[in-house]
Amino acid sequence: MAAHIEIQGGAGETRPPEHPLDAGTRLSFRTKVVLVWTGIFALLGIFFWLAKFDIAWMNRTFKFIITGVWVTVVIAIVSIFFAVVLALLGSLGRLSKNAVAYGVSGFYTSFYRGTPLIVQIFLVYLALPQIGSSLQDRGLIGSTLARYFVLSAVLAGIIALSLNYGAYMTEIFRAGILSVGPDQTEAADALGMSYKQRMRRVVLPQAFKVIIPPTGNEFIAMIKDTALVSLIASSIFWYDIFKRATVAGNHDFKNLEALVVTAGIYWALTAIFTLFQTKLETRVSKGYVRQAGTPSRKPGAKRLEEQSRREDET
Amino acid sequence: MHRSRLKAVTALLGVLALVGAACSKSSSSPGGETGTPAPTDQTVCASADLTAGDLLAKICESGLIRFATDPVYPPQSSLNPQTGEYEGFDIDTATEIAKRMGLEIEWATPDWTVLTAGGWNDRWDVSVGSMTITPERAEVLYFTQPYYFAPAGFAVHADNTTITSAADLAGQKVGVCGGCTYEDYLNGTLQIPDYTIDFAVAGAELVTYKTDKPAIDDLALGDCVRLCAAFSAVPTLQGAIDAGKAIKIVGPPLFYEPLAVAIDRSAPLDAASFVAALDEIVAQMHADGTLTAFSMATYGEDLTIQQGA
Amino acid sequence: MTAIDWKAVVKVEGLHKTFGDLEVLKGIDMEVHKGEVVVIFGRSGSGKSTLLRCINFLEDPTAGTIEVAGIRLQGGHRHRHKREQVRRVRMHAGMVFQDFPLFPHMTTIQNVMEGPITVKKMPEEQARPIARGLLDRVGLADKAEEYPIRLSGGQKQRVAIARALAMEPDVMLFDEPTSALDPELIHEVLAVMKALATDMHMTMMIVTHEMGFAREVANRLCFFHEGVILEEGTPVEVFDNTKFPETRKFLDAVL
Repeated sequence: MAAHIEIQGGAGETRPPEHPLDAGTRLSFRTKVVLVWTGIFALLGIFFWLAKFDIAWMNRTFKFIITGVWVTVVIAIVSIFFAVVLALLGSLGRLSKNAVAYGVSGFYTSFYRGTPLIVQIFLVYLALPQIGSSLQDRGLIGSTLARYFVLSAVLAGIIALSLNYGAYMTEIFRAGILSVGPDQTEAADALGMSYKQRMRRVVLPQAFKVIIPPTGNEFIAMIKDTALVSLIASSIFWYDIFKRATVAGNHDFKNLEALVVTAGIYWALTAIFTLFQTKLETRVSKGYVRQAGTPSRKPGAKRLEEQSRREDET
Repeated sequence: MHRSRLKAVTALLGVLALVGAACSKSSSSPGGETGTPAPTDQTVCASADLTAGDLLAKICESGLIRFATDPVYPPQSSLNPQTGEYEGFDIDTATEIAKRMGLEIEWATPDWTVLTAGGWNDRWDVSVGSMTITPERAEVLYFTQPYYFAPAGFAVHADNTTITSAADLAGQKVGVCGGCTYEDYLNGTLQIPDYTIDFAVAGAELVTYKTDKPAIDDLALGDCVRLCAAFSAVPTLQGAIDAGKAIKIVGPPLFYEPLAVAIDRSAPLDAASFVAALDEIVAQMHADGTLTAFSMATYGEDLTIQQGA
Repeated sequence: MTAIDWKAVVKVEGLHKTFGDLEVLKGIDMEVHKGEVVVIFGRSGSGKSTLLRCINFLEDPTAGTIEVAGIRLQGGHRHRHKREQVRRVRMHAGMVFQDFPLFPHMTTIQNVMEGPITVKKMPEEQARPIARGLLDRVGLADKAEEYPIRLSGGQKQRVAIARALAMEPDVMLFDEPTSALDPELIHEVLAVMKALATDMHMTMMIVTHEMGFAREVANRLCFFHEGVILEEGTPVEVFDNTKFPETRKFLDAVL
């Protein structure tokens, strides 16, 4: 379970500074890293060949398995959307002076962070209908309403994922909101803003810049957690990557090969979305990171700026 | 401005996904072999009393029968990745049942433990899933008469020479599907109605897995590396051998389990006539040799006759 | 010195404020009249900032009554409509803070427009020219589309003043407006404040250490000492005819 609570305000990755003694070697740091990765992949290739993986089967079945990507991505996108809504409400609750809001949000985060996601998925899928039919038996609700308690596998999965991730992201949102200094709150108050206005116009827009990078991490983690929904998946239309790999592997007794293909696809998905996230982080921190050319008050800063620009170019 | 547009797009996606999820039930998916409609016999639904207000009436009126199957059990039930179609003995049987009832099929693939526990909440109508009739299951599910009998046995690694009979399994690591009848057999607790079981295995060290497949995989790793034997349905073991797994079946089948079509007891409407109709169809399929034909095609032998006591 | 109207914009009656065990304001009574410039000075911790923050209820008084532009509110009690009334008070009292907290995600002109648009529900077409005019008044018309991060401290403070002015307050509260600025930037902010007094005849309550400015611009000086107003009077009275030794001691240290 991903509990990515670190708040990153910076833009993208940094690489370690160059050691002065390295200045003499002909290869750049980046080239060396590329070589290392090539070496690792070569080793992997040898390993594949030694393990006698049925590459031909993997090729044949690849199309069937990758068709599930759209299900994975859709479930992840919809779930993260609702998770964000829940996280916003949860964080406001955790920061509230209202006892009901504070208590409910506290219970929510405690329960959904304290129980395994797979248990939550089954609870939504299996326990909810029981509650519905039990209420119906006692005459508290009619049969049409009780039917709504019986959720389809995908819907149950989305709800469980949203609730689960919403609880973890509550902490991210809370930290983000708190990161907006009290001076901003006071300035908004002094203008006569109401709580809602202050949140919407001043606090949340600033909080989002802190919230977005860890939220991006959560989304990437969720892409992989959607695989758990396959355990209740019921209709072939909604089979995700993992379910498709499971049935295909079972059909031909190629479970290991199926798993390898699955891992590869998830890895590729993660890599692609991580790329998007890095771009997003850079964009979002634009107003906060001094760019070259901005007038700085201290005379020494200019020298430091030039030095770092020179380092970037090497 | 930018952010609200993004929100609108994701909200739209969300609505689409929810609608799709809600509608997913009504998508009917590919099935198994369908023969030509029985030319002379009337389908069950054609002659059913649609005003009876029971489960049979409701299903016949909807024109749709919802089968539950677990497509990770070749050759009983599996999904062909090349054709995207379900295949197997169970699939063939279910398809034939639907044809004789005069209904369209909607396939669903819930988790096996969800099925055997009953309480389907009207998500599915019937399970044709090689389910063994056991007293515990009979408390939550209706069973028709068995549609075939699966031999159960065990396999060892292809290189093994020390285990030649069931008695040799004592003290050995035996892989088995957790929650399956095979686990009960190895524990000596299995009960099958109208059948006396000879528990030929005693004192084996059980290693349970979610399904049979990982047990077979572990066995194939090497003789007594992880497992010394795997206990499962003989057709499943044979299927693994045919797919190239380095295992071999030892001895004759140790017992035969009756496998039947199952219906949820907690179905919202009275299921008596529905169960009776299904039972009648299974009886017919036995009598006119349909089931035998399916069995020969899948297993190369006729498993539809009860063996043993 | 400006002409004074005898109409009290701000009335403070029996104001007490305690933080935990520490009593910071021990009974303040004062009135500020329309067009008056009152400078409040004294040692840190003497309660000066707290007084200002009680007037616009950023701090809730432990006891006492505050009246701003006719709206009377009592400290200490929480009754149903208090939040709404506090908001109304704040719309009549503009505040300028020591650390010039501009909204970093908005441009300068958006900062200035924010109050009228969001709080007064003014349409943007109407607010924009007002904001532009105010930025011009504080000498920053050319920085309208810049983000605060690109401004110097003095420029940011001037924008903050414009932002507070945009709400057309009856009184402007300045809480040590130049204390966080580099020396060379203080002058530009003081100039704006002086212009506010002389050109706009704005009612102002200023907490500051800038005694030169006080002598030049203030109508009245208040010396805060240990939670009470020890000495009060015109600049001439307080600087040249100091009544209390504590006041004299403080002035000698600062001037």
